[in-house]
Amino acid sequence: MPDLNDCSLSMESFDLTLVAGPPGVGKTTWISQFLKDAARPLFYLYPGAQASVDLARIGYCFPWVSIISDDQLARVLTDLPDQAQVFMELGFHLDLESPLLSAYPGRRIAIVPPGLATSEWHNWADEVMPSNHSQASGADKLPAIWRSPLTGQVFDPPSLDDVLIELTGGAYGQVMRLKGIFELPDGRAFYVDFVEGLPGIEYTELKLPRWLDGRPDRFSGLEIVGRDLEQKTIAQTVLACCLADDVLFQYQRQYQQVQSEEETVIEESEQEVMV
Amino acid sequence: MKLAVISCIHGNYEALNAVLSDIDAQKADQIYCLGDLVGYGPHPNEVVDTIRSLAIPTCQGCWDEDIVEGLNACECSYPSQIAEQRGKLAHEWTNSEIRPDVREYLATLPLSLKQDNLCFVHGSPNSQHEYLLPSMDGFAALERVLSVDADVLFCGHTHVPYVRELEDAKLSVTVKSPAQASDPQQFQASLKRVINAGSVGEPRHGRPNATYVLYDTETTQVTLREVAYDYEKTCQAILDSGLPSIFAWRLSRGMEFAERADDPSHVCER
Repeated sequence: MPDLNDCSLSMESFDLTLVAGPPGVGKTTWISQFLKDAARPLFYLYPGAQASVDLARIGYCFPWVSIISDDQLARVLTDLPDQAQVFMELGFHLDLESPLLSAYPGRRIAIVPPGLATSEWHNWADEVMPSNHSQASGADKLPAIWRSPLTGQVFDPPSLDDVLIELTGGAYGQVMRLKGIFELPDGRAFYVDFVEGLPGIEYTELKLPRWLDGRPDRFSGLEIVGRDLEQKTIAQTVLACCLADDVLFQYQRQYQQVQSEEETVIEESEQEVMV
Repeated sequence: MKLAVISCIHGNYEALNAVLSDIDAQKADQIYCLGDLVGYGPHPNEVVDTIRSLAIPTCQGCWDEDIVEGLNACECSYPSQIAEQRGKLAHEWTNSEIRPDVREYLATLPLSLKQDNLCFVHGSPNSQHEYLLPSMDGFAALERVLSVDADVLFCGHTHVPYVRELEDAKLSVTVKSPAQASDPQQFQASLKRVINAGSVGEPRHGRPNATYVLYDTETTQVTLREVAYDYEKTCQAILDSGLPSIFAWRLSRGMEFAERADDPSHVCER
């Protein structure tokens, strides 16, 4: 965390919104609704996460949003453009009572499960909002968070399905929340989201250029929030779903060929129209 | 005569015992076994010993063949990279565990068995690796039954039991030769059935219970049996034997190992 004593923050020049809550209540989703409109300069930060699925997803879905890393924080906050809107997402692992956090002069939003009446989030927040579902964990015992960067890894699609079903079904410990960005051999990347108690595993294709030339050089990764996680087995199983070089490059050659054939067809049809 | 048909035991001794007790209680006169005695489960030798001691006529499954011939199925046998890796682990474990006399016994198993108008195979009459899924094209399914000159074809391999009736099949055959034109000939096939016995030791129907079928040769009545057993014992034995713990987790949920290939009608070129 940056030393806040060094910077003088003024509430006049920008809006700062801090969003906190237990895992899976929809913090990132709530923030996302304000990131769609690019009319004002938008900033997003998630203290403590250098490379996280949320950071990458915001970057992929809202390329106009500036993502601030921890070490840039002090500098950026002192030099924000006029009308800037800043959203700070506070993971459940951060201590809300920390003087560093309480120094941020912003609107404090807590999103909590509807059944939760008192919690550290209630004490901290200016405004408490109920989440859409009640399954998110309470504040009694903090779960563990497990993060694995997977940049460069490309998944065998049916293996990815297998392992996600096993993970979310509790085969490697209790998974309360899972989110990931995964690369597939056809060059597409998917955002995957699971919340314990909600039905299904949600797959969303990210609007990114197809990566068909070697290992993708853009962020992908997996984050799991849960209890009694068998971290070593999870890591081994996830890696067992990733494609080796020769298999990946063979897939990519095939997809490149399909793509170039499609392009040829399009060009031909355009020519016909011109004639 | 009341037949009991069991299949795909996969080294699950607890499940086999429970099914044999149920067969006793149902007063079956004869048991047939459609193979896959070994693979994935923790007790391959004990399962084979039991089958042999009861002199149950058994045909060879794909896992039995792999233990005899070595793992040489093409990669199409697996639906995913991770399923293939797990399958290989299970094969290597079984291969190192199996007694020489058990391997010799598996080598002697026939690919199919017949009794009157009934035929027994593991996958299909073509191969132990071919899946006869209930969704298979009707003509192809009929061809499999006709090819062995049977009225009822018993199979396993898919781990999901079903009964399929092929009624009122009309076949039209035209022989074309340069010399003379031939009129099409019409054939009417009598009722044919494909009966899948499911799996004793590695079910894939979402519950851990073992499945098998009973068949009455007089009334032609088929009964699908689902038998609960102490699957946690098998799960514990999987963990104790050093097999991957995910095998126990999947077994307890009736998820099996998703071994089915993308193209189920594909037959391995070996």
